[in-house]
Amino acid sequence: MALLQLTDIQKSYGRGPKAVPAVRGVDLVIDRGETVGLVGESGCGKTSLGRVVVGLQSATDGEILFDGEAIDRGQLSQPGYRRRVQMVFQHPDQSLNPRLRVKQMLAEPLRLLTDVPSEEITDRIERTLTLVGLGPGYMERRSRQLSGGQQQRVAIARALICEPDLVVLDEPTSSLDQSVRARILALLRDIQQERQVAYLFISHDLSTVRKIADRVAVMYLGRVVELADTETIFESPQHPYTRALLSAVPRMDPHRKRERIMIPGETPNPSALPSGCSFQDRCPLVHDRCTREAVYPLAVAAGHLVECFAVEDRVAGAP
Amino acid sequence: MSLLEVTDLTVGVKGSQASLLRNVSFSVEPGRIAGLVGESGSGKTVASLSIMGLLPNTLELRSGSLQVNGREMIDCETGRVERTSDELAMIFQQPRSALNPTMKVGRQIARVLRINQGMERKESRDEAVGMLSRVGIPGASRVAEAYPHQLSGGMCQRVMIAMALSCKPRILIADEPTTALDVTIQAQIFDLILDLVADTGSGVVFITHDLAAVSEMCDDVVVLYGGQVMETGSKVEVLDNPAHPYTKFLLDAIEREVDPRIEEKDVNFGLTGCRFGHRCPHAFSACANLPPLYEVTPGHAASCFLLDEELTRGAAATD
Amino acid sequence: MSAIPADDFHEHEGGGPFIPPEIDATAQRASFVRRKPLAAIGIVILSVYVLVAVLGPFFVVDPLTTDPSNALLPPSAEHWFGTDKFGRDVFARAVYSARLDLSVGVAIAMAATAIGSVIGVIAGYWGGWVDEVMMRLTDVVLAFPGFVLALVLVAVLGNSIPNVMIAVGAAYIPYFIRLTRAEVLTQRELEYVDGARLAGNSRWRIAFRHVLPNSLRPSLVQATLVAGWSILTVAGLAFLGVGIRPPTPEWGVMVAEGAPDIITGQWWTALFPGGLIVLAVMAFHFIGDEFGGEPL
Repeated sequence: MALLQLTDIQKSYGRGPKAVPAVRGVDLVIDRGETVGLVGESGCGKTSLGRVVVGLQSATDGEILFDGEAIDRGQLSQPGYRRRVQMVFQHPDQSLNPRLRVKQMLAEPLRLLTDVPSEEITDRIERTLTLVGLGPGYMERRSRQLSGGQQQRVAIARALICEPDLVVLDEPTSSLDQSVRARILALLRDIQQERQVAYLFISHDLSTVRKIADRVAVMYLGRVVELADTETIFESPQHPYTRALLSAVPRMDPHRKRERIMIPGETPNPSALPSGCSFQDRCPLVHDRCTREAVYPLAVAAGHLVECFAVEDRVAGAP
Repeated sequence: MSLLEVTDLTVGVKGSQASLLRNVSFSVEPGRIAGLVGESGSGKTVASLSIMGLLPNTLELRSGSLQVNGREMIDCETGRVERTSDELAMIFQQPRSALNPTMKVGRQIARVLRINQGMERKESRDEAVGMLSRVGIPGASRVAEAYPHQLSGGMCQRVMIAMALSCKPRILIADEPTTALDVTIQAQIFDLILDLVADTGSGVVFITHDLAAVSEMCDDVVVLYGGQVMETGSKVEVLDNPAHPYTKFLLDAIEREVDPRIEEKDVNFGLTGCRFGHRCPHAFSACANLPPLYEVTPGHAASCFLLDEELTRGAAATD
Repeated sequence: MSAIPADDFHEHEGGGPFIPPEIDATAQRASFVRRKPLAAIGIVILSVYVLVAVLGPFFVVDPLTTDPSNALLPPSAEHWFGTDKFGRDVFARAVYSARLDLSVGVAIAMAATAIGSVIGVIAGYWGGWVDEVMMRLTDVVLAFPGFVLALVLVAVLGNSIPNVMIAVGAAYIPYFIRLTRAEVLTQRELEYVDGARLAGNSRWRIAFRHVLPNSLRPSLVQATLVAGWSILTVAGLAFLGVGIRPPTPEWGVMVAEGAPDIITGQWWTALFPGGLIVLAVMAFHFIGDEFGGEPL
């Protein structure tokens, strides 16, 4: 059974005609113990969606089903939900309160969200610190006595200490060095195997997502334009945006001739979108239907959804 | 003759023994892109600032030579680098903060043209618009009338490039020009830099933390760690046959799927030894000294005692 | 399972120049006096003041005993700062003043910081109409010069030392409200606030346990300056005959009493206490200025 089921999630900032849409109708399912990668460029709404999932922001519209139960707006900030859905942030240097010691940061969620007896709290903190590769020796440290990678490990420990079912990871490695990044990713994977925790891994970095995700959702201007298992997304992407995104990522192959980027221009302003497909201005496959009709997700294979008329025509034309 | 020849550049902190760059040497040929690659703290930014003569006054140039077009730029008495804006131009990681926020971008470029090329006011205005359209900005005359905050990060970087090019530099120093940008925009900027090199025959020092970007963009690579050149050579040589343990480690961190657990050694080679010594799986007694560059193949060298046959034979014998 | 161990040396965060570990140690060893010479001077001066304020009264003559036969004597070995027109020892009076002026100044600064920060956090973190109302109130208070406001408040509250402290403190509170609020506006956007929310903290707990301690730095710097200004203001009020009144030994009172003597050539009765005020305010300023950018 699905752990988290999002149906038609909408999120806008501001009210009335000036509202700027960030998430425009997203359906997404996350199963127990799996990692879903949420990929897109800045302004695509991936972070907004992640914050809606953990309840840091409330959705303008849409439905959240968690573990089979509908979660309404009030429940999102209740200890019952907080304990089971946690988040790791992008900037490890900012996400830890500089005044607190590591043990205080980790004790807080246990005290406020669970009924773990206070004599067991220290033991639990030590176990969690060991789980993230730091060990009890770090209990007395403060944030600025830690390196970036260590700070992120503490942030991961804080998210995991209540043994949640789902952790939203918002660009957890993008401000770390390459070698540190690899270690944090490996750590996250180990933890998942041991704890059966599900991840929503938000990132702009496709090569990172490829290493950790089971399935990948590609977002563009507030919608999921393609969703498939990781191999399919990277080996046979269908949506022209996914293809452009993949071709834009530098490759580690010194012999390869560089391809030129296929899509011109920049992401348009979300408050003044044209009718029809929102990718039409930059799309190499655009035709007149894209400017008239609203696009919808099309299943091109089992578990592979694409929002593109050109792909639909190709699938229909090749029986 | 090389456009830029850096030899044994050593930069230190004033009033301290420690150095941020140790005997760094590399060169840039016309029409080629040299990649300076390293993680944060590797000294890559210090190197670029030294070349530009922009070292903060807490740092000092200790020794070395810096030749632009065969002319020595370091005043051997004061240890200062002459500012050489007519030969060198630089683009930065945060283009928006490098632009004057209170001045329209067209005027900023026009000013550079007047100062550097001695143009008249009217001529410089027209040329500024010309420069903007040359770097691929659609509607250049409109963008020239915009302030930096009205432009996206990608646009600002194009403006920076236009401004850098308006000095007609022989060498362009690009310090992580795309780290703040999305991948599709990064790809567009990469295309732009490659086109410019092909058109003008300028040399580029491309500073980055991303080996994949090096693989896409550069002709030659200099791998830096802790202010020390670890390995240098042509892109294909270094990436295909890495000779230094650090380069191998970096490549592994990107490519490898398995956990990058490296054994940490309880050694400290202090101020004089190899910077990578304490992390190096192969470190041995000789590493307490600074290793020179050993030639691997012509044009490809690495700074590691493992390449010294006499020493390694000796070490093997004592084991 | 063995977790992937943290890499102690190398997992430093992105950005900034490479600082090899050995430099950190050197920077630590570099003497405080070299790095912050003015603050060091300020601390030395204030330490002397505090020492004199605490111990001085045990060693000097009674500041209130008059001796008309020894009036207006110039500074000598017996009377270091001379005597005033009632024959009281100026040095003894100045020493007793230090006790009063320093404790009044520091107490005002501490109270204003505490009250201002709490109000500032509420305004900054809650925002909306709460913020709007508080900001307009501080605007009203700030529209008056602090000195004039304190003067009016003392006139309303009555002429006593506690009332002077309340009046002067009230005049400085708006500065602390604004400083704290501005810092809270920055702090509340940082990710640790979201992290605290997810850890189950209530709004009140986030505001006072997480945001407030991280928003205090500008106020603490300001507090050292305000301690100096408060001494000046209290002395200024006393000079005008408001608040602390003769014969209480207080620098402002002494300047007021001694000012007419300057014309007749007895400069020491006003100049010594005046100089002590200037030196104390300067010392507080030195400290505040140099700690502006230092992590507390």
